[in-house]
Amino acid sequence: MGSMLGDWPSFDPHNFSQLRPSDPSSPSRMTPATYHPTHSRTLPPPDQVITTEAKNILLRHIYQRTEEKDLRPKRAATENLIPEHGCKQQRASPY
Amino acid sequence: MFRRNNIASRIFQRQIYTPAPGTSVYCARRFYENLVPSCTIYDVECPDQSFRKFTDDGQYLISFSRNQQDLVVYRPTWLSFSCKEEDCDAHDLPPKAKRFESFFTHLYSVSLASCNGNELICKDFFLYVESNQYGIIATSTPSIHDAAANGAAIQGVPYVEKLTFHLIRLEDGVILDVKVFHNDFVNLTHNMGVFLYDDLLAIASLRNQTIHILQIRDSGNLVDVRAIGAFCREDDELFLNSNAQCIAFPDKSKLHQLPGNNVQNGTHLSQPNQEDSLLSGIKQRLLSFIFQGISNEEKDPALVQFLDRQHLLIKFGSVDGGVSRNADQHTAFLAVYNMETTEIVAFYQNSAEELYLLFERFCDHFHTASKNSVSMNFVSSHSNNIHALEQIRSVKSKASSQFMKKMLGSLPYSCQSLSPSPYFDQSLFRFDEKLISASDRPRQSTDHPIKFILRRQPCSLKFKIKLGPEAGNADGRTKKIASFLFHPFLPLALSIQQTLFLQQPSVVNIHFRG
Repeated sequence: MGSMLGDWPSFDPHNFSQLRPSDPSSPSRMTPATYHPTHSRTLPPPDQVITTEAKNILLRHIYQRTEEKDLRPKRAATENLIPEHGCKQQRASPY
Repeated sequence: MFRRNNIASRIFQRQIYTPAPGTSVYCARRFYENLVPSCTIYDVECPDQSFRKFTDDGQYLISFSRNQQDLVVYRPTWLSFSCKEEDCDAHDLPPKAKRFESFFTHLYSVSLASCNGNELICKDFFLYVESNQYGIIATSTPSIHDAAANGAAIQGVPYVEKLTFHLIRLEDGVILDVKVFHNDFVNLTHNMGVFLYDDLLAIASLRNQTIHILQIRDSGNLVDVRAIGAFCREDDELFLNSNAQCIAFPDKSKLHQLPGNNVQNGTHLSQPNQEDSLLSGIKQRLLSFIFQGISNEEKDPALVQFLDRQHLLIKFGSVDGGVSRNADQHTAFLAVYNMETTEIVAFYQNSAEELYLLFERFCDHFHTASKNSVSMNFVSSHSNNIHALEQIRSVKSKASSQFMKKMLGSLPYSCQSLSPSPYFDQSLFRFDEKLISASDRPRQSTDHPIKFILRRQPCSLKFKIKLGPEAGNADGRTKKIASFLFHPFLPLALSIQQTLFLQQPSVVNIHFRG
């Protein structure tokens, strides 16, 4: 694709077809190299809607910890209810 | 972004460079390194009032008359004077410019406490609704300590006969609405028992163990939204009443409504008789969440804050603990309560490491500031500032569990208790937190000047806040307390020094950029 835009590929061969070289003495057909994805794993699902989470991050963490505790098997009521921190694994930070 | 410290070269650089994304406020703040309140007018002659604070948008200075009956509002301005000499910079300010009135214009005074009654303004309490420029001020009759319990009220808590919250439009001093509580007690010291979030106001009534949620409408009305305590859902009262009288159950398909709606709750003075045999709604929720056996003491809701429009952080403590913040002797519990689902989402003891880790990482989300208030979103805390974080980590490494309990003792936060002034930004200045900080609590006064040192190279001393003239005070034994009021964005601050136990008037100094 000439020196202006480099040799970068595009997914659609018709892209950049409207470009005309500034130097008319050296006409070069500007068809970019075309690459197609070989799989569709990275495509978003067609009905995906991206919205902002209403709960702030503190409340999200609090709810997550509560759900984690609920998922753990219930213990007898006579046991000490404050969980030992040694058996909890630090959750990987999302950021 | 700025390579040099000189203000002129910074202005030139500002013309060329754009700040990194999301940092425009912090970049603009760096100009405060160059504009500092280095001049002081000592012991300025001013009206004998107790100055409470600057509103967070910097529009008003709120103060109360010495007899605690009037609200006095000033507009912060700037002095103006002219000098006809040739070498003006060498001249000091003319004496007629060194007045309180040069910096503050008196707008109006409003009498809030009635003279015939024995009501007084609670001078430690003031909340500001920035979106509409409304102020909330409380007046109360003296507190009575020999309280005998009645109904759902608990013993041992003092009460006042009449406690009134006034909603005032600060533009002109018009009282828009009032909310009155009778035979109740709310801890108003430093805004502790009340929390304002956007337009929602949460008031923790210690005597009746109820949390009242009110909404402040744009029209200036204080509207009851819900009351959590005896009843968690609006139709609980109806359900319990009808249950007692053995009539058919009412239609329970009417679910709780959103806080935006104008829901009128029944008054809480008349409790149904069977309430004594049932635990109050919130306590029942608490007990059903935790298994009994952790603590045999009864815990009552003492302090509250909003985490967002639906979630409250409620501190349950014994009666004495609710009134003070001293966390050493007793255990208290903190619960996250969802007002919509009336469920307790999470529950922690006040020494829980889990809660402390959340507090360390997300401190800013406990300082819930409304979206309207730009300035309050940039207050330095250990979650948004590396210097503050290093400071608490170094203290934590020395005494871990006591430290955690002490830090968690500050939860739930008092609303609007931090100053948004850029001079308290830990990235800009270093200062002794024991002597001065963004918190508006008064602290022990010192004769030594309080230094503000630049964080960045060359780490020079930028300005000092000194409470008294160079001569100092001869009598070193009288205990003095000092409080500081910093304007949110002008290089202007008031320092007020008061002598305890003596009836001397307070000494007010004005610090400004000369």
